[in-house]
Amino acid sequence: MRKLRTFVVIAAAAALAAGIAASAGAAPTRADSTLNGAGSTLIQPAFSVWGPAYASATGVEINYSGIGSGGGISAITNRTVDFGASDAPLSPDQASACNGCVQIPWALSATSVVYNVPGVGDTKLKLSGPVLANIFLGKVTSWNDASIKALNPGLSLPDQKITTVHRSDGSGDTYAFTDYLSKVSSTWRNQVGVNTAVNWPGGVGGNKNAGVSAVIGSTPGSIGYVSDAYALQNHLAKARLRNAFGKYTLPGITGIEAAAQTVKSVPADNKMSIVDPPATKKFAAAWPISTFTYIIVPTTSKNATDLRHFIFWALSPKQQASIKKLIFAPIPKVVLVAAEKTLTKIHS
Amino acid sequence: MSSVDAPVADASRRPFRGRRLRLGDVLLQGVAGAAALGATVLLGLIAWKVVDGARPSLSKFGLGFITRIAWNPVPGHEIYGAASFLFGTAITSLVALLIAAPLAMGIALFLTELSPRLIRGPVTALVETLAAIPSVVIGLWGIIVLGPQLRLHVEPWLHKAFGFIPLFGTPSSSGASVFTAIVVLTIMILPIVSSITRELFLGVPHDLKEGALALGATRWEMTRGVVFPYARGGIAAALILGLGRAVGEAIAVTQVIGGGLLVSWNLFSTGDTLASKIANEYQSATSRLQSASLIYLALILLVFSLVMNVAAQVIVRRVSRRMGIGVSR
Amino acid sequence: MEAFATFAAVIAVGILVVVVWSVARRGAGALNLDLLTKDPVDFAFGNVKEGLANAFAGTIVLVGLATAMTLPVGILVAIYLNEFARASVRTGVSLALDVLNGVPAIVIGIFVFGLFVVGHGQSGFAGSFALACLMLPLVSRATMEILALVPNSLREASLALGVPRWRTTLSVVLPQTIGGIVTGTTLAVARVAGETAPLLFTSSIVGLRTSWNPHHALQSIPVAIFELSEQPDPADHARAWAAALVLLLFILFASLGARWLATRGRRKLTQR
Repeated sequence: MRKLRTFVVIAAAAALAAGIAASAGAAPTRADSTLNGAGSTLIQPAFSVWGPAYASATGVEINYSGIGSGGGISAITNRTVDFGASDAPLSPDQASACNGCVQIPWALSATSVVYNVPGVGDTKLKLSGPVLANIFLGKVTSWNDASIKALNPGLSLPDQKITTVHRSDGSGDTYAFTDYLSKVSSTWRNQVGVNTAVNWPGGVGGNKNAGVSAVIGSTPGSIGYVSDAYALQNHLAKARLRNAFGKYTLPGITGIEAAAQTVKSVPADNKMSIVDPPATKKFAAAWPISTFTYIIVPTTSKNATDLRHFIFWALSPKQQASIKKLIFAPIPKVVLVAAEKTLTKIHS
Repeated sequence: MSSVDAPVADASRRPFRGRRLRLGDVLLQGVAGAAALGATVLLGLIAWKVVDGARPSLSKFGLGFITRIAWNPVPGHEIYGAASFLFGTAITSLVALLIAAPLAMGIALFLTELSPRLIRGPVTALVETLAAIPSVVIGLWGIIVLGPQLRLHVEPWLHKAFGFIPLFGTPSSSGASVFTAIVVLTIMILPIVSSITRELFLGVPHDLKEGALALGATRWEMTRGVVFPYARGGIAAALILGLGRAVGEAIAVTQVIGGGLLVSWNLFSTGDTLASKIANEYQSATSRLQSASLIYLALILLVFSLVMNVAAQVIVRRVSRRMGIGVSR
Repeated sequence: MEAFATFAAVIAVGILVVVVWSVARRGAGALNLDLLTKDPVDFAFGNVKEGLANAFAGTIVLVGLATAMTLPVGILVAIYLNEFARASVRTGVSLALDVLNGVPAIVIGIFVFGLFVVGHGQSGFAGSFALACLMLPLVSRATMEILALVPNSLREASLALGVPRWRTTLSVVLPQTIGGIVTGTTLAVARVAGETAPLLFTSSIVGLRTSWNPHHALQSIPVAIFELSEQPDPADHARAWAAALVLLLFILFASLGARWLATRGRRKLTQR
């Protein structure tokens, strides 16, 4: 009888395990009228316009979760979502890990430098790339440092410790920001580098754009970087940056569009960097930390038709214009052509 | 505490031999046994899955990972190490325990010896209620209420008064710091340690206590000489369980600690613990090595909590067997 | 010593009062029917963000599913350990359960992520399973304790009358324990209703619309509070406080109610 008992125990355990495995592995009966995406918080405001508009136009609902560009890349690589969104282009390793994904540039915006310094109002602070790099490297530690005073004659800067604020999650804004700092400071390039997450020399971490905005808002003496829409939404003071041409510019549609002129032709993998535009007159008004943002999709998936339709719709001039008020400049013609060409690679 | 380990030697509970076994009996025992097996297997499965996930990082860094202070996800320069987070976990949990332990014992003493019988019940219920508050709510309170108060008032004062001690260096600028995390953790482990200790104190035999008092001991002398030694093992277990709770707390800590990598003795600097680093970065880890390194952190955390848990359980079982009391919670 | 002990108790009660008062004061202001019935709306530059209906619905589904997963397994484990197992097996499995209880919730989250989410996507099922792992030790321990309280005479009488072992256990012993099981389960529910870490990687990529379908990831109250707590907008903080108030009230009501039931039930059982 003991053998029978043992047998029943093992059989029941196997049945239990099989039951759990079956329910877990069962393909979710996902209604084809939903697309799930996750990633960049930079593009997230766009979904407040695009989501309802697309749903009323086609009946397909878009569920988007802003978890940071790093999270978007990770989620689409693990196929836990239908599409990922990232301001940072895929690195070669990430592209191969994603196993057959394409990245399509579908919007254009900027990362702004924001600060909270008592007595210094919005847009009053002027900074240059090298000084900004030194601040985040921890070399410039006080607001009344000589190098900051030199750029801001006539501005009364307090003797207060600078607290740098960075993103603690994997972020496309971090990518754009560190890309810029790497171009304007060789020390930064060698010591820290460019990535969605880096080894920050000190500072406080905030989770996603909202988290950084919250820390800046509540920390006097702080400086950080957020997607431009969040600076506007939370009334954060924006710094003027000196671009390569020599002018102090602010993020905004004009500054972004000027920076986007950097793109003459789009490479095959759609990877573009438009930070720190050249020093010619054409880029006089350019904001030096502008960035494209990408949607990352697998070339083959069961949502291929829906995804292709949605991306094509989002790339159309009308939809690009609809999000202009959220500080998204319409993507240039040459990028639009490349994006639509990449779209054809997506099939069921 | 552990379940009642009532000795079941009586024959009515043992499987019957030579009795006609019915299908129903076999089925029930089989299915129930499968469930018990499953529960045990679950623990093993968790351990295996965590080790498996950490494998890329384990094979690349080995045990050196544990002592390295590094965390660089930049492609081409990737290097990871757990030391900063081990330090963060150690300093937050140990200091929290240091503060919570005497307070918890004071509460337990108050509730067992000193308080009038009338308020004993309500106050006990109130302390247990503190344990029921979810960690995310404590974290919310930590960010919005506690952090600013600490930053504006407590930290500058501590720095001014005790700044010569490296622990109380430059006050934090944003309210997010190791110190805030310590306060939050203290609040979270206080009720656990105090409720276990309270039950231990309740279990001390009356005659022992009264004997001491009859011999002329003061209340404190009686507590020190009779209650504490008697409950010694259980108190150790309570402290270990409290420590385990603090070490494993991810959410409330990640909300208030500020996310720093540098190892610093200044309690007012930002930091990160094993659990909070995982909570922060795991979802957005973009390279296989980074994910694996985060799971390696989870593995260290798992080993910590396993060792502490088993130690606490062993102490409890040995103590209750020796004392002959069933310590049930 | 006495002064210190009293001081310590005052501090503990004081902290509790401060925290609960913060939640109550700030939460009550933002608590309205809209919070419970309307979904959040994504206004990029506006202030009106409506409610958290998706989080409340999601928590109900997640906790409900977790309870459905845990209850049968927990009861069966307790039955096996109490009624059938040898002492060594009982010690071993009890130890395993107690150790499982001490595994940090974030590690459980990573475990379930690797088990169910990779390749398949987040889902309410994955989240519920993670919560169930946390509930299992609590439910089985509570059931074991109450099973041990059932007097042996009951079992012996039933067996002596010729009732088979399995029927004795299921129809005679188990009904005596229903109260205790309800108590234990309620306490376990109160515990996991507020857990964030296990859901962070298994059910956090969610839409704004209320959904009762566990095949998709579902929003939950603790995860919503976590996300709202790190927002810059005070209106978001207000909603977080309000959600925290509802959560706290539920947990307090459940815990205190369960404990009261427990003392009453235990008194009844031991009076036999």
